[in-house]
Amino acid sequence: MTQLADRDYFTDYQILKDPYAYFEAVREHGPVYQPEGRDFLIVTGFEELLEVMRNSADFSAIIGLQGAALPLPFTPEGSDITDQIEQHRHAFHGGDLLVNLDDKPHTNMRALVNTLFTPSRLKANEAYMADFADRMVRGAVAKGAIDLVDEIATPFVTWVVADLLGVPNEDRQMFMDKIREAPCPGNLEGDMALDEADHPFAVMGAYFAGYVFDRVAHPREDVLSELANATYPDGTRPDPADIVKLGMFMFGAGQDTSAKLLSNAMRYIVDQPGLQARLRADPSLIPALLEEVLRLEGSTKQTARLARRDTSIGGRPVKAGTRVLLAIAAANRDPKRWDQPEAFILGRPRIKEHVAFGRSAHTCAGAPLARAEVRVILEKFLEHTAHIDIDEARHGPAGARALDYEPSFIIRGLSELHVKLTPSASFTPLEPAPADAERKADTPAIAAISTGDTRLADLLDNPSARELIDRHFPGISEDQRIGMAKGMTLRSIQKFAPDQFTDAALDALDADLAAIPAQ
Amino acid sequence: MPSLVIVDRSGAERAVAAGPGLTVMEVIRDAGFDEMLALCGGCCSCATCHVHVDPAFAGLIDAMGADENDLLDGSADRDANSRLSCQIRFTPQLDGMRVTLAQDD
Ligand code: HEM
Ligand code: FES
Repeated sequence: MTQLADRDYFTDYQILKDPYAYFEAVREHGPVYQPEGRDFLIVTGFEELLEVMRNSADFSAIIGLQGAALPLPFTPEGSDITDQIEQHRHAFHGGDLLVNLDDKPHTNMRALVNTLFTPSRLKANEAYMADFADRMVRGAVAKGAIDLVDEIATPFVTWVVADLLGVPNEDRQMFMDKIREAPCPGNLEGDMALDEADHPFAVMGAYFAGYVFDRVAHPREDVLSELANATYPDGTRPDPADIVKLGMFMFGAGQDTSAKLLSNAMRYIVDQPGLQARLRADPSLIPALLEEVLRLEGSTKQTARLARRDTSIGGRPVKAGTRVLLAIAAANRDPKRWDQPEAFILGRPRIKEHVAFGRSAHTCAGAPLARAEVRVILEKFLEHTAHIDIDEARHGPAGARALDYEPSFIIRGLSELHVKLTPSASFTPLEPAPADAERKADTPAIAAISTGDTRLADLLDNPSARELIDRHFPGISEDQRIGMAKGMTLRSIQKFAPDQFTDAALDALDADLAAIPAQ
Repeated sequence: MPSLVIVDRSGAERAVAAGPGLTVMEVIRDAGFDEMLALCGGCCSCATCHVHVDPAFAGLIDAMGADENDLLDGSADRDANSRLSCQIRFTPQLDGMRVTLAQDD
């Protein structure tokens, strides 16, 4: 049998389950290794990985999204292939997305992104994030048992990034559904590039184009407006199409990574003896927890670079055209850099120097957001529970958990994590009224209600309005066919049932609704 | 090409050519001064790109924002010339400006 270090990182499901054992086997061959029978290098050493990330003169980021295994779309010629790369940029997966750009196009676009998630913007947004997290977590605690990944992590991060970018409320659910369908970046089964026409992100592109053009004409207080109206450092204006791609890329880049950080962190919180009690007693330890989880089990396992000039890594000569897999997961456990690298230790010295977010030119631009959003929701989980457990019926007992991971060569993240939540002594469930959190967030607290502005569901949730509806249209509050249209206003439903809902009848109802005191 | 003079933590100094459209942090980073970590990549979120700027150029560089000011407060090595280098855009007028990498916190 092929020894572990020479098995195929990109297709082997055993490696998917435990990439760490595989990378340790690779490390035994030194910090830079070319597996038997493969034509790319794997860098597991912390210093060597930093050396490559810092050397953007000799290494191109062009293969970041497609990975080190795919052959190049051209045959490298000579000791400098920079021009060849530029000529073929569009033949690479996501070749023109920020994370794959080099040189000036990269620094230009990066300058736009650097101003987005500043401490003051995140602080201004924190109340919103905390309120949204609070409602989600209280709903989960009231239920008692949930799949953290599907029910909380994914919708939460989608909502937060959608809010920051300025994706309108009414489109967010659609995006959430699209994202659920979308494969993780770096999917092992039938790879789908982010920029392929039928990729869910491409479908979303049409919407993003709409937002960007709208923001050029009508700027608002949101990230998309800022991007749409920004200028590059050299004074030139970005092409709106580039801003569309950037907006979508930000939306995509912040999804699986942050969601998986939350569930990876939760597993440590439950499985490290005594940890959850310690964090409950002192929630200010959560940021330290996140850094250690990012180091030990960050949600990005690897990225890739392409040598564009003859160069070297750790003293080993590397020819232009060589593809290099940068094993972030391995560098973060390099025993030359970290004491007891496999151990979970809260508050390690210089922990923030881990490379879970990369380093140098392409360092994750969303790291401040990822850290803030996951901290905020973990605070809520700890506040509203007395105890959190992983469901043993689903995942087996501590020490022998059966866990499934997203089939991706980039993302390290659980595909499900079923947890059981024991409420804290002070826990209060959400007030029962309008059920789903999203809708509450969107409905202004004080609003006049009418058949033209208020969705039927909201009218029926309001006891006085419900009484009036029952009086004007007996039976419809219980009517199943009408029930399916509850998301619409009565005036919209009228188009489908004009005989049942005449103008005169709706006007009469409106007159009575107007008399209900605003809530 | 205009140049930036960079003084490292040991006191050694080197003038490097600075291309247009870069921040001072990017110039220092691309010149290979690895002791400057610039961990957040220029997002004004980490303070590991802290430098002391030649006071003669104080009037020519971008003004300090509130986030930058707060971040610098966390640094023991802060003085009147402290700046986060990712918040200063390098322009041709800054030709010859000297920056000293701040001590590690
Ligand atoms: C725990 C969560 C996250 C992790 C582990 C993570 C990890 C990474 C890594 C490793 C890179 C560098 C890739 C390379 O060097 O090839 C990166 C780049 C990037 N990330 Fe993240 N990320 C996370 C969350 C986010 C979020 C929330 C956003 C935005 C909303 C985001 C936006 C970006 C962008 C725009 C880049 C490209 C930066 C550039 O090329 O200049 N990320 N991320
Ligand atoms: S690089 Fe992080 S604040 Fe400047």
